[in-house]
Amino acid sequence: MANGWSLLISVIFIVVFCIVAWFFSPKGENQTVWRSTLVLSAWSCWLMWAITFLAQWHPLINPERSDLRPEYVNGPVKGGSMF
Amino acid sequence: MAKDTLFRSADMTLTQLYVANEIGREVVSALGELGTMQFRDLNPDTSAFQRTFTQEIRRLDNVERQLTYFRHQMEKNGIGMRSIHDFSNTMAAPSATEIDELADRSQSLEQRIQGLNDSYETLKKRETELTEWRWVLREAGGFFDRARGQTEEIRQSIDSSDDAPLLRDVEQANGSAEAGGQQQSFSVMNIGFVAGVIPRERMGAFERILWRTLRGNLYMNQSEIPDPIIDPERNEEVHKNVFVIFAHGKEIIAKIRKISESLGADIYNVDENSELRRDQIHEVNSRLQDLSNVLGNTKRTLDAELTQIGRSLAAWMIVIKKEKSVYQTLNRFSYDPTRKTLVAEAWAPTNSLGLIKSTLQDVNDRAGLAVPTIVNQIKTSKTPPTYNRTNKFTLGFQTIIDAYGTAKYTEVNPGLPTIVTFPFLFAVMFGDFGHGAIMALAATAMIYWEKPLARGKQDELFGMAFYGRYIMLMMGVFSMYTGLIYCDVFSKELSLFPSMWTWNFPEGYEPGQGTVRAERVEGYTYPFGMDWRWHDTDNDLLFSNSYKMKLSIIMGWAHMTYSLCNSFINARHFKTPIDIWGNFVPGMIFFQSIFGYLVFTIIYKWCIDWYAIGQSPPGLLNMLIYMFLQPGTVEEELYGGQGTVQVVLVLLAVVQVPVLLFLKPFYLRWEHNKARAMGYRGIGETTTVSALDGDDEDEEGGHYANGNGHGRPSAESEMDGGAMITQDIGGGEEGHEEFEFSEVMIHQVIHTIEFCLNCVSHTASYLRLWALSLAHQQLSIVLWSMTLANAFAFDGALGVVAIFLMFGLWFLLTVAVLVVMEGTSAMLHSLRLHWVEAMSKHFVGEGIAFEPFSFEVMLEEEMDELM
Repeated sequence: MANGWSLLISVIFIVVFCIVAWFFSPKGENQTVWRSTLVLSAWSCWLMWAITFLAQWHPLINPERSDLRPEYVNGPVKGGSMF
Repeated sequence: MAKDTLFRSADMTLTQLYVANEIGREVVSALGELGTMQFRDLNPDTSAFQRTFTQEIRRLDNVERQLTYFRHQMEKNGIGMRSIHDFSNTMAAPSATEIDELADRSQSLEQRIQGLNDSYETLKKRETELTEWRWVLREAGGFFDRARGQTEEIRQSIDSSDDAPLLRDVEQANGSAEAGGQQQSFSVMNIGFVAGVIPRERMGAFERILWRTLRGNLYMNQSEIPDPIIDPERNEEVHKNVFVIFAHGKEIIAKIRKISESLGADIYNVDENSELRRDQIHEVNSRLQDLSNVLGNTKRTLDAELTQIGRSLAAWMIVIKKEKSVYQTLNRFSYDPTRKTLVAEAWAPTNSLGLIKSTLQDVNDRAGLAVPTIVNQIKTSKTPPTYNRTNKFTLGFQTIIDAYGTAKYTEVNPGLPTIVTFPFLFAVMFGDFGHGAIMALAATAMIYWEKPLARGKQDELFGMAFYGRYIMLMMGVFSMYTGLIYCDVFSKELSLFPSMWTWNFPEGYEPGQGTVRAERVEGYTYPFGMDWRWHDTDNDLLFSNSYKMKLSIIMGWAHMTYSLCNSFINARHFKTPIDIWGNFVPGMIFFQSIFGYLVFTIIYKWCIDWYAIGQSPPGLLNMLIYMFLQPGTVEEELYGGQGTVQVVLVLLAVVQVPVLLFLKPFYLRWEHNKARAMGYRGIGETTTVSALDGDDEDEEGGHYANGNGHGRPSAESEMDGGAMITQDIGGGEEGHEEFEFSEVMIHQVIHTIEFCLNCVSHTASYLRLWALSLAHQQLSIVLWSMTLANAFAFDGALGVVAIFLMFGLWFLLTVAVLVVMEGTSAMLHSLRLHWVEAMSKHFVGEGIAFEPFSFEVMLEEEMDELM
């Protein structure tokens, strides 16, 4: 589902978002504030996401637990909820 | 004309106004409503008493004092004031006649209130006295009755035995009276008495003094008055005691009177005869009755009067405050007696000039004056004040920047990116979906009930939160986002997507024996944020620390690069290319070749699947250290040719240091020498010294000194008044300071050292993002496991109660500790990252803030008084 291409796709998505934000920001005296805030927010959030994604792309360590019961098996497998 | 944006200060123009004397007040009043002009003081050498409108201000001061008096009286009598928010037209300018009426009215009202107050106080005092007297009569009566019984005893005791020498004289002198029996009185026995009231705390001293001065020759009786007595002068409750002192002889009685008066006791006349005493009590009671009727009437009249005043007091106060500030502003104008015009100089945003002109036209039309008000724009080289137009959303963020320093006129205003970067860096430290949601909800509530909350009284802490409600909203929203990225909701995980890890139990696995290692789902990376399966694992911190540390470095690098780019925009805007080539470019290369490279290696390392290519991943920290210690040798290679690349980068960085050091100062010297060689001299270099003083006050002074006209007369200076005023503007010419090479060099050396060292220390400083986010996460885990996790151990009815109670405790502590306290701490760290780490890269500061003459601002400042 998510692999290396996600990075490229996300960049394209953010660029498109920024273009849209730039041209569709409400006109008037607050236009600069709208543009700056939307574009900067988008890139900040993207940076955060990208760093997290990259950190888990080729992880060097795997999760380890010693308190699991065998019945847990894989607990909530794919998409399940722990709550 | 360019639009005013938050990106840099609005364009400012120095304007000159010629106002006909008759409409001076109306013009200033209209401009005060507009609130876009900052008037310069044109009579800086005139003291406050010598100015033109001192008389008017005095008169208004008096009215203000009267209004404040009404307010105090209302507070004293507990009468509420109609809030200023109830007046719809508070912003309408008052006319001169209205002001006069108001002054007369408040004068007469003051007299009336004062009269009522005086009589009320006198009556109140009288009432207190009567009340005290009544107590004395009542209590003293008891003493007398008891004392009478005792005289019987005394007499009997004397009759029976003769060992009471003190009383024997009495016996002998009044031997005949003994037979009277029933009508035995003290006067006959030559014993006098003093009765009165004294504050309870003085009782001890009073007794002691009496005992010492009279050597014990007295008989004292006292009792406490159960109800406190109200002191009419101070309006306080005082506890008092009634005392009756019996003593022998006139002198002693006189002495007792003196002592008690000096100690603040009130002495009342009490008759020893019980019949008369009863009459006295009756009389006192009836007088008290009458008095309380009169008092009630007076109080009602006073209250009615004050209520009447309270209905419009707030509006009057606004009117007076406005009027006073108008005259204070008029005092800054210079008066041209020959032409009967007032001349004013003011800074105004260029974009508002049209509005100003039309407003002045309106005032003129209303006054029906033929002489128009003239608005001239003056060209000046004086630095205009910095004015960043804000709205209620941007105000909080701009305040963050202004708290550090006012930006130089038209330099890049860091307030604009701060709208995002401040809450975002906060959120990196505060990342938790739940805590972010609480914060965002609180902010939303404050924004939703903005108006009622703004009107109410706010304590300091709430006032601060309310002022920064939009900052809080952004912080909350971003915290929710980073919380999702960190996969933390109140320290618990949120499994939005299928995990990239599956648990692989070894054969015959028993809990508590050995660890289970998760295996990766092939070819799948968790798409959004941290994988929730990392939660509660044994090596969770190992992974998240490495991740968050690198996150902080990359965030810091991005933030600082962004800020450094602003210095490029500044250099372009101020047209100083040497700042680009001498500061920005070498600085940028220096920073990128070390820390840009570090960021590159971090990302590069992440992108490589080290186990797939069968290499062990190299440590980045050692790599960076050995990059400088042993350039060229790389122990564990990250990529081919790494050694060469690193040598080139280190050399590139090192070469920038001399460029940073010498390029700018030597260029400036060359430029200066070239200008000199061509025969140019600095303007003002040979003329007066005052021209060199950049200080505002000195410039004003310079206007008298520089009669030789090195000021630049404006185009409109054909008018005499204009010429006189504009000359002093020229006095403030900037940029003509004498070129001092050593000074420039020292400045540049400091800048270079600071910049290079700061690149290192500031990058390290961003690691606080990691530290605080780690602390926040661990603290919320601890809170959960200490409260709610314990409650889950119970079951049955006890479990219900335990969970209910523990949830309360957990929620309370979550809000108080994790949201409020931790939030404050993360906010302060984010503040520091902006002020120190980011703004040091480009912010010049040294600007003068634009402080327009505005009724709105003035009233807001004094709002507390009016509420």
